[in-house]
Parts: sequence; structure tokens; C-alpha cells
Amino acid sequence: MKNNHISDLIPAYLDGTLDKNTQKKAEEHLSQCPDCQKELEEMKTLFKAFEDDVPHVPTNRLRNKFEEALEAEKESLGKMVPLVPKKKSNWATNLLKVAASIALLVASFQMGSLFQQRKVDGDMAILKDETLQMKQTAMLSLMENQSASKRIQGVNYIEEFEHPDEAIIQALANRLIHDENDNVRLTAFEALSKFSASDTVKNVFIEALGKEKNPSIQIGIIEMLVQIQEKKAIAPMKKLLEQEDTQPFIKEQIKAVLPKIT
Amino acid sequence: MKALSDEILMQKVAEGNLDMLKVLFDRHHKHVYNFLYKMSGDSMLSEDLTQDVFYKLIKYRSSYNNGSFVSWLFTIARNSLKSHFSRNHKHHDGLEVLEYKSDKEENEDVEDYSRLQQALNQLDPEDRELVILNRFKEIRYEELAEIMGSTPGAMKTKVCRILKKLKKIYLESL
Repeated sequence: MKNNHISDLIPAYLDGTLDKNTQKKAEEHLSQCPDCQKELEEMKTLFKAFEDDVPHVPTNRLRNKFEEALEAEKESLGKMVPLVPKKKSNWATNLLKVAASIALLVASFQMGSLFQQRKVDGDMAILKDETLQMKQTAMLSLMENQSASKRIQGVNYIEEFEHPDEAIIQALANRLIHDENDNVRLTAFEALSKFSASDTVKNVFIEALGKEKNPSIQIGIIEMLVQIQEKKAIAPMKKLLEQEDTQPFIKEQIKAVLPKIT
Repeated sequence: MKALSDEILMQKVAEGNLDMLKVLFDRHHKHVYNFLYKMSGDSMLSEDLTQDVFYKLIKYRSSYNNGSFVSWLFTIARNSLKSHFSRNHKHHDGLEVLEYKSDKEENEDVEDYSRLQQALNQLDPEDRELVILNRFKEIRYEELAEIMGSTPGAMKTKVCRILKKLKKIYLESL
């Protein structure tokens, strides 16, 4: 090592960062080499100068400004990113929010369909009503038609009405009593027979029995009146018995049924 | 709090715990300031640049890559200093602003330099920088290499050479 100066190791030697082996060798060399000893002393002086160098101290302005900037950043952070810390803790709340949204959606849908249904029902009722009125008009006008077949068609419209009003009953009664065509009267009778519970219909039957000449209709009316046990029918029936032009089998029919009306 | 390393603290800062930056400021602002002062010889400028370094720490906290904090800190400090001088260089079309000597003459009345500082001022800015950083106890050759983008071995050799040079200048001035 004699000719191998260790000047390059001196800074590290002074800093104490050499490994043990190198340090030992350096010490050995230093003890024998005045050049390196001089170098060491000089470097020590420089290092001491660094150590003794009084560090410049910044003014308080530096710290104040830094803290100001930090506070400003924290404030803007508070405004901008409040979601980051909340992310984890709000998982359940978010789920609730989602559930609430879904519930709201379903509820709105149900409400909507309910109202829709009501509206539809209302519309349907109005439409039905309108249709009935139209049918009634059609029925009434058909029954006034010249053609017997059209009148029958009109009378048959009665099937469309569950609860026909007075006007329809009256129109049917007119057909039964006054129509010149047997078939129309028969159809009208059949139609009216469904509503035999009505007093108006009963009176119509009794009136028709007095006027009717067609035997098949007469028999129908008689049977109907017997069935409903209409006592007022007894008088016109007896009258029929007395009349000359009454068909013999009609008379027999009346005789057979009269005792049934009690 | 003192037990936590710079790296852990800076990581907390990067995650949004900005108060941790106060601890880092307390630990390091004097070193940064002194590095800048020794480099520039201008106390006001050093203060402004130190301010700037810590602003950048706040601003770019999320870009901290979990490496050595000191290396990162002084890399930012060096860049601030460099960009300051290159900016001034452009605007003043001044000659050799990076050369300390020209500055020195202007500021001589204001700043009272130590003999060591005067010796440092005679080094090239690159050399001055290396030796100043090397003398900070917290910067080992590994960190220095990281700051300079070199290897610890190369840094060791270079610093040793500069120290010898500085020693010569310093002893001559005695």
C-alpha cells in the first residue's frame, strides 16, 4: 500500500462510511504516509468548515406562506373530493338509496297503471254507453222501417240490452200490438216475454191478447200470462171464448189453462 | 410522528392527508433553503424557491412514486433552481447567469458570505451542487445518484475529486 495513496478514501474515511477491512488498511497506510496524513488534515479542515458553517435561516415568511398554501389546498380539497373518504362508509347508504329509487320506480309504475286502468274503465263505460245509445237509436229506427224483415232485425236487437229502458219496451209493445206483419208481432212477443216481470209488459200482453188474431201468437200470450199468473188476463180470455172468430183450439187452450190462474 | 419515515409520511400526503406535509416541511425546509442559498447566494431568491418547492410538493403530491423522498425533494429543488436561472437568462439576455461569479459581484454588499461559501462560489455550478448535496447527512451516495441520474460509484469518485478541488481553493483562501 505504500505507493498507493488513499487520498480517494479520505472523505469516506472521515465520514466513517468505509467498511471495516478498508478502514483498517487506510489506517495502516495513514500511519506510514505523511502525504496522506497531510491530505487527511486538510480535508478535516474543510469538513470542519462545512460543519461549522452556520446554516442560513429562512424568515418566518417562508413557513407562513407554506401553511397558507397548504390550508388553501386543503380547503379546495374539501370542496372538490368529499367523495373519497365517504366511499367506503357509505356503501350501505348507497344501497338504501338504490333500493329507495327502485321502490319509488315500482310505486310510480303501479300508480300510473292504476290511474290508467281507471281511466280506461271510465272510457270503456262511456264507450259502452255510447254504443248502447247508438244501438237503441238503430233499433228504434229499424222498428219503424217499411220492410218487415228490417223490423224483425230491429226487434231482435233487444238481445243487446240487459236492462232496456221504457222507450224500447214501448217500441216493442207498439210492434206487438200494431204491427201488421205476423212475424214481426211474434218476434216482438218473444222479445217482450223476457221482461214479463214488468207491469208495463203484462199490460201490453193483456191488451195484445184482446186484439191478436194470429193463433200461434195468441197461444204464446196465453201461456205466458198463465205462467206469470196474471189475474187481469182472465177477463180478456173469457172474452176470447165468447168470440165467434176465435179458433176452436184456442178456445180449448183457454179452457185448459183458465183454472190454472188462481 | 417523528418515528415515521419521510416516505411513509409522503405517501399519506399523496393519499390526501395534507397535514403530514407540515412534518415534512419542518424536517426539510431548512436543508432545501440552504442548498438553494449555497447555490445562488441569494437569501430572498432561496426563500422564494424553497416556497416554490413546497408548493410543488402540494400540487404534485399524487405523482410521488414511493421512492426516496429526499431524492424527490432535491430533484424538485434543483429543477426549480434551474428553471429560475434559465428563465432569468432568457429575460435578461444576461451572460452566464448560471455562473455564480457575476451574481456575486452584484450581491456582495447585501450578502455576507463565509469563507467556505466563497470557496464554493468558485466551483462550477455542477460541482458546487454535488458537493453541497454530498455534505447533507441525509443524502447518501444512493440518493445523490438518484437525483443526478447516475450510479453511486460514479458519484463517489466525482464527489471525491470535487472535494479535493474545493479543499485546495478553501485552504488557499485562509
